[in-house]
Amino acid sequence: MGLQGLQTMQTKPNAGLFKRNPPIAGEAEAIERAKNGDPDAFSKLYSLHKRRVYTLCLRMLGNVSEAEDMTQEAFLHLFRKLGSFRGESAFSTWLHRLTVNLVLMHLRKKGLQLVSLEETINPSEEDAPKRDFGSRDTQLAGSVDRVTLERAVASLPPGYRMVFVLHDVEGFEHNEIATMLECSTGNSKSQLHKARLKLRELLRHPDQVPETESSREVVQ
Amino acid sequence: MSDLSNLDFNSMTAAEFEQYLPELFASGESGRLSEDPRLSRFLAANPDCAALVRDLETIAETAKSLLVPDQDEPSDALWSKIANKLQQGTDDNDEPVDLSK
Repeated sequence: MGLQGLQTMQTKPNAGLFKRNPPIAGEAEAIERAKNGDPDAFSKLYSLHKRRVYTLCLRMLGNVSEAEDMTQEAFLHLFRKLGSFRGESAFSTWLHRLTVNLVLMHLRKKGLQLVSLEETINPSEEDAPKRDFGSRDTQLAGSVDRVTLERAVASLPPGYRMVFVLHDVEGFEHNEIATMLECSTGNSKSQLHKARLKLRELLRHPDQVPETESSREVVQ
Repeated sequence: MSDLSNLDFNSMTAAEFEQYLPELFASGESGRLSEDPRLSRFLAANPDCAALVRDLETIAETAKSLLVPDQDEPSDALWSKIANKLQQGTDDNDEPVDLSK
């Protein structure tokens, strides 16, 4: 989906994301001033949202250099398209979707197939979660350490990671993810489930979760 | 999409239950699957399934905590790069933005 799709999607505000993205003090004024070309307002919007955009890019890409490049692209795109922001969703939601779509387009340009039906039906031996229930005596103890989870997420195969981050971390719904990733909602649900199963495996043996560049950067 | 309304969970095997799990989780996003009364007997009789459901719920709930704002920052030089690009105009259709005012 291109950015046209993004604009179509944002006409139906997502109450959940509104709740998770409350307006920021001074933001509305900065948006209006930036629409009129006020350079200080551009700078203000960048300061308000740079961390969220960068963290999202880093989590999706797992690479600091690419995350910075995509953060730059996201803000350049934001400033060019700001006039089309109508306030039908929270500004941070709009920027968030814009960023997600830019990252997805970037990954597609790199030739990465984000959600593979083949992977769902016939996952590779190495990447697929094991199809057993595991023993109860090693079940997760009611809570999972956030740092370990972040590291485990970073080590997921790209297709699983993308759906997990979009759904469980960022709060997108399956129909939205299906539109973004150009797959069916069933495929999105299946990928999410496999991602969680894979994470469960990883979290049961946290000492075996590899440390990645992304997890080193994201987890402080 | 699977129709979950006619399922008889009490006569279901663990393997069958696992097949329905993606859809069950997707349909019950507003509440915890482990507390769904339709599943209470099945989960009580299948502790491995109950443990799986609890673990997956724990993972999904902890994932929400990863959405922590302000935890990472791009390099200090990034804004300068963006400002330069905006001043130059980043493609043929763009008017340069005067950021020096």
